[in-house]
Formats: sequence, C-alpha cells, structure tokens
Amino acid sequence: MFQIHCPHCGATREEEEFSYAGEAYIARPANPEEASDAEWGDYLFMRKNTRGWFWEQWQHTAGCRKVIAVKRHTGSYEIAGSWTLAEGKEHYLKESEA
Amino acid sequence: MPNFQPYLQSPLVNFNLPAQTVPAEASQKVRANELPLMGYIVLRGELADTAVAQAITKATGLAVPTACRFSSGDAGVLIWQSPDECLLVTARNYVPALLAACTEAFAGLFAQAVDNSGGLTTVYLSGVEHVTLLRHLGVYDFESVTPGDVASTVLGKAGALVCRVDGDGVFLVIRRSFADYLWLLITKAATPYRFAVAKLPAAGKSPFLRLVDAGSPAKRPVAA
Amino acid sequence: MSGYRVHRNSQRINAQAPCQFRFDGKQLKGFAGDTLASALIANGTRLIGRSFKYGRPRGIVGHGSEEPNALIQLETGGYTVPDLKATQVELYDGLNATTTTGFPSLHFDLKGLAGTFSRFMPPGFYYKTFMGPIKAWPLYEKIIRKAAGYGRAPVDPDPEFYDHLHHHVDVLVVGGGACGLWAATLAGRAGLKTLLVDEQNEAGGWMLSDTSAQIDGKPALKWVSERLAELNSLSNVTVLTRTTAFAHHEQNLVQALELVQDHLPLAARDSHTPRERLHKIRAHHVVLASGSIERPLVYGNNDRPGVMTAAAAQTYLNRYGVAVGRKVLLMTHNDAAYDAARDLAQAGSRVTLIDTRLRGAADWRQHEAKSAGVALMLGYGIAEVHGKTSVSGARLVQLDPFTNTVRARGPRLSADSVLSSGGLTSTVHLFCHNNGRPYWNENSQSFVVPDEGRQGISCAGSITGRWELSAALAQTHAAVSAMLLGFGRSTNGECPVSDERELAPTRRLFRVPDGLPEGHGAKAFVDYQNDVAAADIHLAVRENYRSIEHVKRYTALGFGTDQGKLSNVNGFAIAAEALGKPIAEVGTTTYRPAYTPVTFGALAGSHVGDTFDPRRYTAMQSAHVKRGALFETVGQWMRPWYFPKGKETMHQAVDRECLATRNSVGVMDASTLGKIDVKGPDAREFLNRIYSNAWSKLDPGKCRYGLMLDENGMVMDDGVTACLADDHFHMTTTTGGAARVLNWLERWHQTEWPELKVRFTSTTDHWSTTAVVGPKSRAVLQKLCSDIDLSADAFKFMDWREGTVAGVPAKVFRISFSGELAYEINVDACYGHYIWEQVMQAGEEFGITPYGTETMHVLRAEKGFIIVGQDTDGSMTPIDLAMGWAVGMKKPFSFLGKRSLSRSDTVRKDRKQLVGLYTEDPKVVLAEGAQILSTSDDAPPANMQGHVTSSYHSAFLGRSIAMAVLKGGSQREGDTVYVWAHGKKYPAKVVSSVFVDQEGVRQHA
Repeated sequence: MFQIHCPHCGATREEEEFSYAGEAYIARPANPEEASDAEWGDYLFMRKNTRGWFWEQWQHTAGCRKVIAVKRHTGSYEIAGSWTLAEGKEHYLKESEA
Repeated sequence: MPNFQPYLQSPLVNFNLPAQTVPAEASQKVRANELPLMGYIVLRGELADTAVAQAITKATGLAVPTACRFSSGDAGVLIWQSPDECLLVTARNYVPALLAACTEAFAGLFAQAVDNSGGLTTVYLSGVEHVTLLRHLGVYDFESVTPGDVASTVLGKAGALVCRVDGDGVFLVIRRSFADYLWLLITKAATPYRFAVAKLPAAGKSPFLRLVDAGSPAKRPVAA
Repeated sequence: MSGYRVHRNSQRINAQAPCQFRFDGKQLKGFAGDTLASALIANGTRLIGRSFKYGRPRGIVGHGSEEPNALIQLETGGYTVPDLKATQVELYDGLNATTTTGFPSLHFDLKGLAGTFSRFMPPGFYYKTFMGPIKAWPLYEKIIRKAAGYGRAPVDPDPEFYDHLHHHVDVLVVGGGACGLWAATLAGRAGLKTLLVDEQNEAGGWMLSDTSAQIDGKPALKWVSERLAELNSLSNVTVLTRTTAFAHHEQNLVQALELVQDHLPLAARDSHTPRERLHKIRAHHVVLASGSIERPLVYGNNDRPGVMTAAAAQTYLNRYGVAVGRKVLLMTHNDAAYDAARDLAQAGSRVTLIDTRLRGAADWRQHEAKSAGVALMLGYGIAEVHGKTSVSGARLVQLDPFTNTVRARGPRLSADSVLSSGGLTSTVHLFCHNNGRPYWNENSQSFVVPDEGRQGISCAGSITGRWELSAALAQTHAAVSAMLLGFGRSTNGECPVSDERELAPTRRLFRVPDGLPEGHGAKAFVDYQNDVAAADIHLAVRENYRSIEHVKRYTALGFGTDQGKLSNVNGFAIAAEALGKPIAEVGTTTYRPAYTPVTFGALAGSHVGDTFDPRRYTAMQSAHVKRGALFETVGQWMRPWYFPKGKETMHQAVDRECLATRNSVGVMDASTLGKIDVKGPDAREFLNRIYSNAWSKLDPGKCRYGLMLDENGMVMDDGVTACLADDHFHMTTTTGGAARVLNWLERWHQTEWPELKVRFTSTTDHWSTTAVVGPKSRAVLQKLCSDIDLSADAFKFMDWREGTVAGVPAKVFRISFSGELAYEINVDACYGHYIWEQVMQAGEEFGITPYGTETMHVLRAEKGFIIVGQDTDGSMTPIDLAMGWAVGMKKPFSFLGKRSLSRSDTVRKDRKQLVGLYTEDPKVVLAEGAQILSTSDDAPPANMQGHVTSSYHSAFLGRSIAMAVLKGGSQREGDTVYVWAHGKKYPAKVVSSVFVDQEGVRQHA
C-alpha cells in the first residue's frame, strides 16, 4: 500500500482511496473504422507491462473522482510524481521523445 | 384522491436513534447521533471559472470553498468535492428555493444543481476519542483535519465526507445505502470508548446543527 | 527435575503474585511476570513436544519469538489458540495450555519410531517414496496429513474481538531495547511525532537479561526506566509494548500487532477491549532497532530436552528467577556467553564452560567466570549430547585450533543442561520485507544491515552487527542524529556511554565437528521445527540444489512459525561449506512478512460478521422484513429474494408471485438500480459514444433501453435511460454495475473526450424506485396519482412523466422488465417507505403481491431479457445476444466497441449465441451452467457446444424454460441438443429465447 498525491485535491492520500485505471496515454485511434484488425488489436490488447518506470492512470474514486497520471516504478513501487492528465501528458511526451 | 399523509424516514430509521438517545456526558468518550432529514444539493460546474463561482455564491450566499475545505452561512455548508463539484448541505425545506435559485443563476452556464436529499445523511461524531475512532475506521490522517477541513475518504469499505467545524467533533456525510453499515461499524469500533447515542448539542452557531432545527419536518407543513 | 526457582535481584517476576496454571492437565505454579516457558522450566517440565518429522522429544530452546519447539495450544473452546510459543505466552492465573504434538501421547509417540529409522527419511522423502500408484495418492495424503502439523485450529466462534488502528507519525522506532529507547528519546526531544513499539511486555530488550550492563555509569535498567519516564512525559511520543512490528511495506507502512489482553486471565478480560489490535503505521521515517538473537551451535543430538541457547538460560535466570539446571555445560565460540556462565554459577549451578577457542575469552572475562566458580575447558567442543528425553551429559572432542576438525577425543561429562552460543544474528527482517537485502559481515559473523540504512529507514544498534553496548549506542546516536538532520531538527543530548570492554576474537564456527563424515554421526539439527539436520543440507547440495532458495524449499529450512530465527544463518553457513562458496555469495533466502504469526482475527479486525462487507439497504427495508422477505446479496445490496407465505417453499412462493404479477399486479423494490444524472450540452453526443444504440432522436419524456459495450465490443452493462430535457438524461445501470459504470463514464470523459461538455452525478441513493407490475398496475396507480394522465394513449410504453404520487413529487417511468404493463415510481428516498406502503394499500383490492429477485428473474427470462453478468460473461457481443437492434452501426461517431464488432473473431459464425431451450420433459429444470452437447452419445472429451445461463420453472407457461449460449445458436432453432448435468443428459429443443408474448402486446397494454 503506497500513497499517491492527488493534484486536484492537493493532498497525499493512501492507496485505498484510489482505483487503478491502467496504462496512461494510450491514444484511441482517431478513425477506428480505418484501423486494420492488427492496429485495432494492438490498441486493445498490447500493453507495455514495463518493469521499471511506468506511466499509469489512477482514479481518486473516494475523493474527487478525477483520473490522474502517475509515474511509478513497478519494481520498487516508488512514485516519481503525479499530475493531472493534461500536465502529465507534457512530461510523458517529453520523456517519450528523449 | 384520499388525504395522503406522507412521512419521511431518515436512512438510519431502523436503528430508532431517538429512542436510544441519552444526554451527553464526559464519560462517553465517543458519541454519535444522526442529523436526520437534511437537504443535500450537488453543485456541478468548473469552480475555477469565476462566472460559475459567482453564480454559486449568488444562488447560495456562500463562498466557493478551496480544495478540501468547506464554507458556511445561512444556507448551510458548502463542501468542496472536486474541481467541478461542491455539495451543499442545507435544511430540507430550503431545498426547493435553493434549486430554483441555482437554476436561475446557472442560466447560460455549463453548471447544474442536482438534488440528492434522499441519498445522504449526516452523523455527528464527538467525544474525546472521536479522532481515535476515525483512526480505527480509516486510513486517512484524521489528526490533521482542522476546523474548516473536509476529508473525502474511506471509512471501513464505504466512502464518507469528514467535516470538522471545531475541536469537539466531526460531521460525517454518508450515503443512504451505506449508512446502516457505517453506523454498525462506528458502534463496533467505539466499543472501548463508552459509546453513547448522545443528544446533539445545542445548535448555537454550528453551521450543521442549525440546519436540523431549520428543516425539522415537525415544523414544516405536510404537502398533500 | 532440572529447572528450579532461584531468587535474583534482577528478576522481573512478582514473587508476591503466584499464578496457578495447567499444562497438559497438570496443575503447576508460577508467578506474575513469568512466561509460560519460564514457569514450565521452573516446574522442571522438560518435554514440551515431539518433532515434526521424526517425533524426537523436544524441549524449550529459546526465550522469545525465536523458539522453534515449544508450540502450545492455549486455552480451549472459542478461546483456544494453536501453536503459540510458550516463550511468548505471558503467564496468568488459571492459564490452561496443552502440548500440540505427540500421537497417541507426548511420552509415547509413534512417529518417534520413525526417528529410529530416520536414515531412511531424507529430504524429499515424501516425494521420493509416495510416487505410485497414482490411485493411492488420496490415501497417502490422508495418512501424511494426520501425521503432519501442530495444534488444532479453533472451531468455536471467537468470543473476543479485534480492531485496527491507523497511525501517521514522523518516526516509528521498532524495538524498545537500549538503542530503540535512545532513538525514541532523541526523536521525542526534537519534537517529532514518535511511536515506539516493542514486542515484549516491558521495554528494555537485552538489558532485562544482562544484569551487569551499565549505561552512563548506572545500571542499565535504571537508565531504561529513566528513558521510559521521559518518553511518557512527552506528549508527542507513544510507547506501545506487547506490540510486534511484523511487516514493512512500501513507503514505510508498517504493520504491528498489539496483544492487548492476552496476558490477562480469561475472566479478567474486559469485554469492551479488543483481544488484539492491528496497528497500521505510516511513518515518514522508520528506525529499526530490532536487535539480534543468539543462535546456537550445531552439534550432535543438540535437540535433546535440556539443550538451550546460552542467552535463553541467562534470560530465564536473571529476568524470571529460574535456573535451567544444576549441572550445566555451556559451549561457546565468543566472549559474550561467559556472562551466562558467570551468572548461572553465581546462582548456584555447577557450570562447565567449553570454549571452542584454544585461548578462550579476554582475560578479565575468564577471571570473572573462574571467580564465580565456572570450570573452563578451552579448545573443546561438544560432539554429541547424551540422554533421550532429557540431557544426561555430553561427549566432548578436542578441536583443532585452526581448522574445523577434531584433533582428539575428549571426555564424557555428565550434565542436566547443555547450553551453546553460536553468536548473534541480527534481526534484519523488517529491513528486507520490501526489497532491502542484508549483507554478510565477516567481522560480526552475521547478515547485518548497513549503518546508513536506506531511504526512509535508519538502522540502530545490534541490527547493524554491533554486539557491544557501547558501540551499539554510539552507532544509534550517529544514525538518529543524521535522521534528525533530515527533518531539519537538531540532536538534543549526549551519546550515552557504556564501558568499552576488551574482547577476544570470535571463532568462526557453525557446525561443531564430531570427527565423522557428515551424516554418519548423531543428528545435528539446524532447524528444529522442521527437523532439518546439517546432513540434510549436505544431501540437498549433493542432489544439486545450488541456490539457497532451492535448498530451503527442498529441506524446509527456515519455514515454520519461527521463520528460521535460530536456524537460518547456521543453515546458510553449512550450505556455503557444502557448496564450497563464501557465505556472502550464498546469501540469504528472502525475508517476507510476517515476522511472527498473526491471527486471522487481528487481520480481519472489525470487518467480520455483519460488517464484513457493507450491507446496503433500500429505504423499504423494514417493509420487506415486515412481510417476511428472505434476502439475497446482489453486489453489496440486500435485496428481497422472495416473500414466502406460511410454509411455502421458494418454488411455491415464486410461482405464486409470478402468477399474481402476470394475472393481476405485483410490486418490486427496484431502488438498487444504479442511477446517474447525465447533463450538459454534449450529453446526447456522449451517450451516442458510450452506448451502442442511438440517442440523437430521443425526445424529452421518452425512455430508451441502452446497451453499453466495452472497447472489445462485449456487453458490459445495460439499462434504461430517460430524456429529462434536451441536455439532461437520467441513466440507470444494473444493480451491481453502478459504481463501475460511473467510473467508466468518468474515465472516458476525462481521458478521451474532455472537450465534451457533460457531467455525471450519481443519484442512486437519492431515488427510491417502486416497480408496480402487471395488468392491474394502472388501476393501482390511478388510486394514488391524479396529476398524470395514465391512459394508454397519453402515457405510452417507454414514456416517463413527472407528477405527484400519494402526495409526493415523483418521476414515473412506464418501463418493464417483465413484459407486463408496468410503472416505476421514483421518489426522494426519504419517502421510499411511505410510497411502498401506499402502493401496497392501494393494491390490496387487486391482491397486490410483493416479489423479489427470484420472481424478477423468472419474469424477465420468460421474456428473454438478459441479465448482464448472468447471461453474459464478458465475451458476448450484442450480435451474440440477438440484440443487433440495439446497435446503431450508422451513428457518425465510432461508439465504444463498434470497431471490435467487425474483428475476425467477433464475426465468427460459430460464436456462442443466445438461444432458448425447451427440455423434452417439461418438468426438468436444467442446472444453470450445465454444458450442452450436440449428440446424446458424446463421450469424453466431449465436444462442448455451450452452456445454460438461466433456467427456471415458469408457472405461467406450466413448464420449464432455459436460456443458453450455444455455438452458432442463431442458426440452430429447432435442433435438439443434449444438456449434461449430474451425470445425465437431457434432450432439449432450441427455441426462441422469448417464451412469453413474443408480440409484446402485454407491455403495451
């Protein structure tokens, strides 16, 4: 059980208040009808499943109900930070480029 | 049509709390009782949007609270829940007028008021060990909840809003369908603390307690 | 007789407070402050148990949580607790304990015979022996299970209760020995919110056993009491004794178990106080001052009752006033154990100290021991203990001073007790629970933790391998000062001083040689609880188990309730020797919670019985109880299941409820359905995206059934949504799906389409919903409602109206989950009970019948209406369910799941599809979940074609009906299939899944 900082509530809360909401920033294809079965299958089923730093979504279900972006180490459970989805995306994109 | 005599029942009706209520005493280290049948209105709108915030204040007379805080005034208590949600706890018979005021104030805005009066109730928890009791029930750092704070968190396996007005106790705003469970859990966890269903203190200036008297069904005409 | 009482000035028992207790039925006497173990030893009780595998007689070895043998069953009935360590059970008046091993009795144990043949029971014995025939496995299991294990699990309800308490502190100090107390003192003085936990009944740690220790020039225990007085005076410090920190998790979450009342006589326990309390502590910083435990040396027959660690004997003597024997042999490889020898001799025992080192301890210690009357033998070791159920003596060998071999034979000495000290093992468990690793320190001959700790954790005292008090305190002072610096606080106090004493080097020794190759001499045990001998570890290595984790699992080394506290380091060292590797390279096994056993009661806390899980009730609960409803749990809701009258069976009640509803009028509490207020200029567009069907043309005043798919195209929820205004909808969800759907809407809105202006607000609890169902429902409503035109033309099927019902504002939906004319009355839930009673009263003349979920299921199945989660399982598309009509393929936006409906897998012809089944014999009600076969003579492995999802007796049709999913089912109407259940195959015909009123006349009435 770890603690997560909720950027909306401006507070660090226990994991019990949150629910896990999967890998972050998986873009839904803009035109699903034009996606091949393989592309659509990739969007549906393929996840990074990283051992290490991982961008994921948590929803503050017992608090503000907002979905947030959390960068967490899946081995040590260390949390590098958490952001609103919009703020997190900038960091995420910057990292993806690097 | 016959002459209907509608009656209201609070979520904790089955515990028959009025019959169990005893005077508050210092020996009761944890006390609780229900503030039954109040009014609850969910206000939705981007609170950071000044137009929305002003409309809320116009309709309720209450300042829009900052994150994890509540404000209070004549209309009741306005509790921050999320960047686009507040909960107005008010007297039950204020609800129609407040809803109308909100509808008027929110015209042209992306904001709304949703009546949730049937869905919530409030429990006042006090006594010298009331914080310890909360620590039995939930993971939140309840010792850090100071007057004006609200913690939206989990007690046992149910959600609750924990609002502190002063050092004496906290007001728990809980959902109707979980009220039974939470009450049982509170009474269980309070076993070591001479728990009592104690008479609520005199309303005084308490922004919550005042609402009970203001909205008491006994004082309002039955709609037929 | 062996152990006996002596008086010690240091003793912590209260000689004025005698306690009577029973052990295996025998009445014995002890004192308040005793543990069960100290009292048993004082009474001369030696034989405490029989060993796990060989049934060898065993006695008490340790004095705390490290004890492997003395597992006892405490109390009886609901109070009974199995497998407590006698060394940790505080004695109270009237205590009743029994042994947990020995069959048929402790003194004559059949398994003991196995011990005689023990050379035939190597590691892996069971795997190697009971291989075949496969048919006999269940028999083997029965026999082996009977022979295995300790103690008996309680069967009666627990009369006591348990709770949880959460803490948020700046500093948690684990361990209340000298170092832990000093750490807490410094943290407390610095004004930090500090919690100290200690597993014993009083703080002090080893100072309670070591009478000669001095701190700051005064007796250590005086210093301890000064510290405690100071800590108690600080409002920011809490000290919890009898509290064991047993687990360390991410971000410094520590779990600790407090034994609140276990030390009290049963009759004296306060029914308002929990028996045990589980503390969940979130600490900014943890100081681990968990100390160390003395491990024994490994030598022949080192498991005979009367064999013990030197530290245990010293503790029993000084802390409890109990001498373990009159004639004591003490073998050591270090200086510290001289204290035990000295104290025992002073107390009157005849002590022979067998030092494995040729030169022995530092001069001053040798002198001290000799002056106390201790006989010293230098350069010797014990090869083998004599005696069977109690020590009678030992055979010594003279050791080579440089290599771990025997130089010459030694004398045989008689004795009633044999003690050994193999040095200290740091208690590193909590440091390692969450990814930390200890390292081997050759100097202290222990796996220890680094001085600097790790992120968020400081390590203080002997956990770092500092065995001398002066060094441990100095290290603590430095580590805590560094921690305080991190908090931005200063250190207020001088480092406590203890004498630095001269030490002779320790001899590096684990297994004492007996001059024979391993496995040929007397068994030398490493792990008592699992009967793992040194030879077993060698064998495991010979059988090519290389990793210490594998050696552990093959031999069972370090399993069990003691978690290898005495045995691990010896085991690792012996494995290292067998592998020819340094210990550091062999490493340790993984330390996992819990450090000591935790009761299920404590883990559950108050989450038991009626508060195990939330039981959610509707506003009509008392009305249902009054009418005799039986309840079933749906999600967390308590829903009426059926309402039996008189002695009706469920079947009879459901038949009656169904017929009453179809023929006249029934009423059901539908309040549990999830309800979500959806509002905003883009609400309609959002619904178009989230539902498979179209919402663009639904006018205010109208309702529509909606099907929600996940992105895989599978049905995940359904419900009726009403249009309140052009930008405002009232969505309903399944009872169990309410929270999931709300989160689902929020996630899609927040992550994918934040530009859509729409908001979702749960109103599930606000609305109470009374469903009035059946041909007479209109007549009932007409008696209660005058401001809604209820006529068939004015208020059509799938319309909703706002009005007043029985004087209360209401939203009335004309929707139906039964295929009948039906109205759902929604009111503020505070009026829910009132409305229900009004409907009952108004319906009386029509014989209105309340019904529950069972009748609801039958009525909807008669109409072929699905229940998500019963007829679907996350692999059903709308097409599979023959609900293509609810899929708006022409909608402009590619709604959730749409693209998946054209994936190669979802368009397969042989997908399982929803069908109806009529059994050939109309009386047969098929089992739900029963598999479907195509032919009657299908033999295993059968070609399974699908399964039954819903199956009921329909009183209305006078026969059974079933819904099923069947491969290619949409094309198989008219086929005969065979449903296998309980060893029989029932022929059934594939039919439409709409059994009643296929034209829908009734619901449009």
